[in-house]
Amino acid sequence: MMVKNKVALVTGASRGIGAAIAKKLAREGAFVGVNFFKNQQLAENVVNEIKTFSGQAEAFQADVRNPEQVQAMVAQLADSFGGIDIVVNNALSHYTFNPKTRKTAWETNWDDYQQQLDGSVKGAYNICQSAMPFMKEQMSGRLINIVSNLIDFPVIPYHDYTTAKMALLGFTRSLAADLGSFGITVNAVSPGLTYPTDSSVETTEDVRESIIQLTPMRRLATPDDIANAVVFLASEGSSFITGQCLNIDGGLVMR
Amino acid sequence: MQILQAYWIPKAVDVPIVREQLIGSAYQLEYPVVTSEKIREITALIQQNRVDYLQRLTTGDIVNKIDQAIQKWLNPGYPLRIQAEALLPIITGYDPEMVRLELKKYMRTFRKKELLRFLDEEFDQAAMLDEFRPRKSGGLSRVYGPRSIFHVFSGNVPGVQIWSLIMGLLLKSANLGKTSTAEPLLPVLFTQSLAEVDPQLAETIAILPWKGGMTELEKAAVNSAEAVVVYGSENTVKAVRKIVPLSKTFITYGHKISLAIIGKEALRPDCFYETVHKFAEDISIYDQQSCLSPQAVLVEAGSAISPKQFAQLLAAELARYAQKRPRATLSDEETMSIQNLRHQTELEAIKNENIAIYASKQDTSWTVIYHHQPGFDGSPLNRFIHVFYSEKLETDLGKMQPFENYLQSCGLAVSPERLFPIAERLGELGMNRLTQVGKMNSAKPGWHHDGRFNLLDFVRFTDIERGLEDTLERFDPDVE
Repeated sequence: MMVKNKVALVTGASRGIGAAIAKKLAREGAFVGVNFFKNQQLAENVVNEIKTFSGQAEAFQADVRNPEQVQAMVAQLADSFGGIDIVVNNALSHYTFNPKTRKTAWETNWDDYQQQLDGSVKGAYNICQSAMPFMKEQMSGRLINIVSNLIDFPVIPYHDYTTAKMALLGFTRSLAADLGSFGITVNAVSPGLTYPTDSSVETTEDVRESIIQLTPMRRLATPDDIANAVVFLASEGSSFITGQCLNIDGGLVMR
Repeated sequence: MQILQAYWIPKAVDVPIVREQLIGSAYQLEYPVVTSEKIREITALIQQNRVDYLQRLTTGDIVNKIDQAIQKWLNPGYPLRIQAEALLPIITGYDPEMVRLELKKYMRTFRKKELLRFLDEEFDQAAMLDEFRPRKSGGLSRVYGPRSIFHVFSGNVPGVQIWSLIMGLLLKSANLGKTSTAEPLLPVLFTQSLAEVDPQLAETIAILPWKGGMTELEKAAVNSAEAVVVYGSENTVKAVRKIVPLSKTFITYGHKISLAIIGKEALRPDCFYETVHKFAEDISIYDQQSCLSPQAVLVEAGSAISPKQFAQLLAAELARYAQKRPRATLSDEETMSIQNLRHQTELEAIKNENIAIYASKQDTSWTVIYHHQPGFDGSPLNRFIHVFYSEKLETDLGKMQPFENYLQSCGLAVSPERLFPIAERLGELGMNRLTQVGKMNSAKPGWHHDGRFNLLDFVRFTDIERGLEDTLERFDPDVE
């Protein structure tokens, strides 16, 4: 088991990539806090699925954009499980990835950007601020932020979403610079188009196909592919890696 | 719990029904209790409705009405389309995303412009279906479709039933369709759409599910029809053939084998992956259940990837496809036939280095067998493919001779100058459709299905000879 007895918090974990990460961490021995915003039933389903393989998990409601709610959630989690070792910032403000109906650059207004910045960056900021004291106390910790390979290769330019994700990468790197001395690593995982998830369901067949054509591994990412990389960054195997961004997209982006 | 009719009959008929739960969904399917008497009653009624209504419509009217129904299906929010997308995967076991994509692509082939093409393909003037029309060689001709057609559907690939019903409508025939229990729903839903467009038109159609081989019922249906069309296996066709009198038009679409031929030009470094990718689609769509799907491929040596490497790449691509769109769960019998053949091949491969097998490890979801020699072979289907080696394609085409009575579609990827020599040879061997790799499963509406006409096979002509036309002029009371 790669993260045996570690305490982990995964935000936006009721479905898609977040749910896959929560399940994988639990399989690898972690106690997992399954954060959700609205989908209590789906989050409970994830927890129940984890329990079927004797994993340990609990669902926690919080809007990551709200500092008080986040503070309360992290405190509650640390209380129940005795600390916090791993944080995965996966939540974002609701976004529809539809190449047919996306807003062009000249239609995207600042509110759109602000909304994505709030979900991706402010959300991660709130969570990290709340988790840092516990990690400093332990002199160890793993912060993992989910970005997107659209920041390197905007196949479809989702302006607001991609801008916020790039900001999250900057946040990741500067946090890494400050937290390394406490034994805390901060890294990002950059998924390619991940299918199937609720977010990618509106990405049309032709777009999916054209991405596959450009991908050396000739398929799209699955939620499990992303979860595997997150578990690696959460494990001892990545002990001296910090401030990095790991592309999980079958080689679509190489840098 | 929503209840859905798995049948369609004219309103005036009353049949007892039974209900059956669809596993894993909030739907119940309702089946009629079919008897010979009911079949006779229903056929008589749809034939009468045809006389009273359908027969009086012009072909143009009918095309417009079908087009309106098709337009409904091209709207992603159309309730019946949503129902079909939800239920067909449950009924057939096919991957939901595959059903969704294939269904809409299929429906698009019946837009008005395609229907008009389809008519023009076979008739010099489609208006001959409406009235006597002058012929270029003199005289006039009129075309009559059968008063009624009995369609025997089988298999679970959604689609062909709709094509068959559309043909029947274009010919102004009353249509009785017998659906298979493997896929009873789509023809019913489509007829329901026709009813939304024109209730009277739908009153000339009946769709009844019953288990094939209930000879009494089939006899009743055959006797009441003027033409019979059967889709299915050799056995299905044989069974129906026995009960159809020689006097009736009898059209069969039986067991067929499709193949692919890939030349070295399609395996250059700039296009080999594309070729492999497209070919994997041909194999995976509807799990090879359609007779348009390839069962074997002849691959030419001499380019960036060898035929053996082609087999390996194809295996990797089938594995990816299986992850993207898993194959349907098979019956024990189907699984056994794949396992037996795999086992047999594995043993052979130990002794014979000219054979290699690449197959999914945990289950039977895909299998590639490589033969380092030219040849063709049938497959047990469900994403199982033979890859054969060829030094030069032209010399090895004769290897398909043993299958000549069954050859249907050939996916072809060669340089343009090789097209005609290869096409000539394939035509002689009995192949009736050459198509590009990647589109083997989507035959175009006007194609010569199994090498024959579509509408023309059903109709009879009445000619008014030139001489008669001229002679009658003499009897004009006002003649000079």
